[in-house]
Amino acid sequence: MATRSTAAATASRKAPKGTTAAPGLRDAVVVGGNRIPFSRAGKRYADASNQEMFTAALEGLVARFGLQGERLGEVVGGAVLKHSRDFNLVRECVLGSSLSPQTPAYDLQQACATGLEAAIAVANKIRLGQVESGVAGGTDTVSDAPIAVSEGLRRALLAASHAKTLQQRLKALARIRPGDLKPLTPATDEPRTGLSMGEHQAVTTARWGITREAQDEVALASHQNLARAWESGFFDDLVTPFRGLTRDDNLRPDTSAEKLAALKPVFGKSLATSGTPAEPTMTAGNSTPLTDGASAVLLASRDWAAEHDLPVLARFVDAETAAVDFVHGHEGLLMAPVHAVPRLLARNGLTLEDFDFFEIHEAFAATVLTTLAAWEDDEYCRTELGLPGALGKVDRSRVNVNGSSLAAGHPFAATGGRILATAAKLVAQRAAETGRPARALVSVCAAGGLGATAILESA
Amino acid sequence: MLAVETLPSVPRLTGLYARGAASSGRIAAGRALPSLPVIGGGEDSLTLPPVAYRVAEVDTADMASHLRDYQRLLHEPVSDHLPSGYLHVLAFPLATAVMVRADFPLPLLGMVHLANDAALARPVRLGDRLEVRAWAEDLRAHRRGVQVDLVAEVRVQGDDDAVPAWRGVSTYLARGFDPSEVEGADGADGGDGQAPGDVPGDAGGDGTAPSDAWAPPLPTGRWVLPAGTGRAYGALSGDRNPIHMSALSAKAFGFPRAIAHGMYTAARALADVGMARGDAYRWTVRFAKPVLLPGTVDVAVTPAEDAPGGFTYVGWNALRRQKHFEGTVTPL
Repeated sequence: MATRSTAAATASRKAPKGTTAAPGLRDAVVVGGNRIPFSRAGKRYADASNQEMFTAALEGLVARFGLQGERLGEVVGGAVLKHSRDFNLVRECVLGSSLSPQTPAYDLQQACATGLEAAIAVANKIRLGQVESGVAGGTDTVSDAPIAVSEGLRRALLAASHAKTLQQRLKALARIRPGDLKPLTPATDEPRTGLSMGEHQAVTTARWGITREAQDEVALASHQNLARAWESGFFDDLVTPFRGLTRDDNLRPDTSAEKLAALKPVFGKSLATSGTPAEPTMTAGNSTPLTDGASAVLLASRDWAAEHDLPVLARFVDAETAAVDFVHGHEGLLMAPVHAVPRLLARNGLTLEDFDFFEIHEAFAATVLTTLAAWEDDEYCRTELGLPGALGKVDRSRVNVNGSSLAAGHPFAATGGRILATAAKLVAQRAAETGRPARALVSVCAAGGLGATAILESA
Repeated sequence: MLAVETLPSVPRLTGLYARGAASSGRIAAGRALPSLPVIGGGEDSLTLPPVAYRVAEVDTADMASHLRDYQRLLHEPVSDHLPSGYLHVLAFPLATAVMVRADFPLPLLGMVHLANDAALARPVRLGDRLEVRAWAEDLRAHRRGVQVDLVAEVRVQGDDDAVPAWRGVSTYLARGFDPSEVEGADGADGGDGQAPGDVPGDAGGDGTAPSDAWAPPLPTGRWVLPAGTGRAYGALSGDRNPIHMSALSAKAFGFPRAIAHGMYTAARALADVGMARGDAYRWTVRFAKPVLLPGTVDVAVTPAEDAPGGFTYVGWNALRRQKHFEGTVTPL
């Protein structure tokens, strides 16, 4: 089935006489990607900063595609845990790279969807003809996270700095209490609910009745698939070693169903006393660990790629973001992609069966499973998504075929770039093998009830 | 008909507590007498002071920073609207003044806050000049003693509506007063099957409703309350009852640790409802087991099934499967 081109439809609309005619939309393509191996928090990258990691990922991309001295249209990326001194993080990384210093950059942040949202932004500018090329990516470190002072200390210090006299200053500082001296480390708790992401997912997991066994299966597959991909050399042109690390160090090629089954639950323990029978099922094995890392993806117009004699892996077809009302429990925190995808498919005249690959970010194994279960649920799709019936069943053998976040780890803003590069290469390989177009659906859930999704198609 | 007695300003709680402690001792001494007082009729009966206190003008213009501190502590959005919980804080000392009157029949100390019901009929804003009234009414039986309503009303100057902009009813229990001779004293009134209120050492319930009869819903949120929660709300509200201030002072009153102010928990729940409550809303709470500090409270704040646009909320201790409080927020 052919994709109906909305670009052509839009371009055919004539501008009124006398106004400047907008150029029609054109294709944005993924040229390639590069990331550093992801590392578990507090290990190999313990003292690496966001800037160092993203610069390394960017510089690897520059080296791979010979972009030294090149003025790109823009570099867009971000970090979820970001120090206030990094107000221009991505621009600083560009200045520290061998790209032309005339390459503009900006920071963007949408929690775990940062990397994908950056790619959507770059792809849109390319499609509009505003830039010819761009890099989208992200970086995050939990190990080198900014530490903030307590609210009490912060307000006292600010009051002291605003004070005009020594007396006023001392008065302001006298408000500091011993408890105020305790530093605040960033938490992954939802600010509005106080529940951690894991606890939120545990509620969703319980609601959908996702079993421990099913979750452990997803985790095991993630490790096995990622290990196979590494062994087969899939990541050889997608990863640059960093700080002596050549592979994602969260990967456990030798893990087994038995080992995963032996782990104790870490999330949802308080639900054991709940009226909804919910034995805790989420463990350190089927939940993503905190990770450090960075990734970058090169996007361009077809013309720019051809002029630079660069390959084209995939076309960035379209994207859709969504948000859900999770605060009062109406919907699960990580369910936004479930809402985004039907809208994305409808706009592009596609169904779930039209995809060769599904890249569903494994925030937790249960997130993948609740997403798939929701799309299969007739009642849910009708009442919650406003569809005539179930969206459809996803062929599980097409999901995260080269592993995902459970095995690779999840440095929040870096995950979008990892997934995009993997998906682009997968559709390119599949198309080369079969001679037919291949398509991938990308889905990334994020804190705040957010989600970003996108369609890639072999170019 | 209550006689209205106008006070020059809202009294400070600290002084009221000192008076309350003294009168509590006097009432406690009275209780040691062989004949227990009963409600209604007879010379020994309990009667409420036939007076309403009134403060003619409370200027909120200079409360900006206090309001902001309140809004931040309770997770309310910072704005010039006075949340219902803030109006309770504003009016509470006047109600307390009624309770420390020499002719108020129940001891202030040891009274248990059972429930609260407040209606914000119209928005009250920073800069409004307010008239505040407070009185006690409806002394009645509770299966563990007697309960009484403390009513406070807030009117905005220049607003001639018969319905006050804000009206709060705080229901208190005084234990140990024998209600058995009161008509209808079957415990139905105020006895919701939950062990009521801030009752120290009463972990096992009262037999009428075993604690395992209740199963919590799925949570929508979790509050991790630090040890200083009682001190922080005490400083803002002026309610520095020793049971809230520190483990040591709470132990003196039979609690293992300091307990959170009930109204702090109810006001946090109100804030969790968010802007969906609208400008005018009714906010109710019934208190069950006290929240020990430091402590973690799981909460479910969810749209009400029976009241469109409204919310119900409940807070509990997940490990002990104990309900701390529950209530509703309904747009008016």
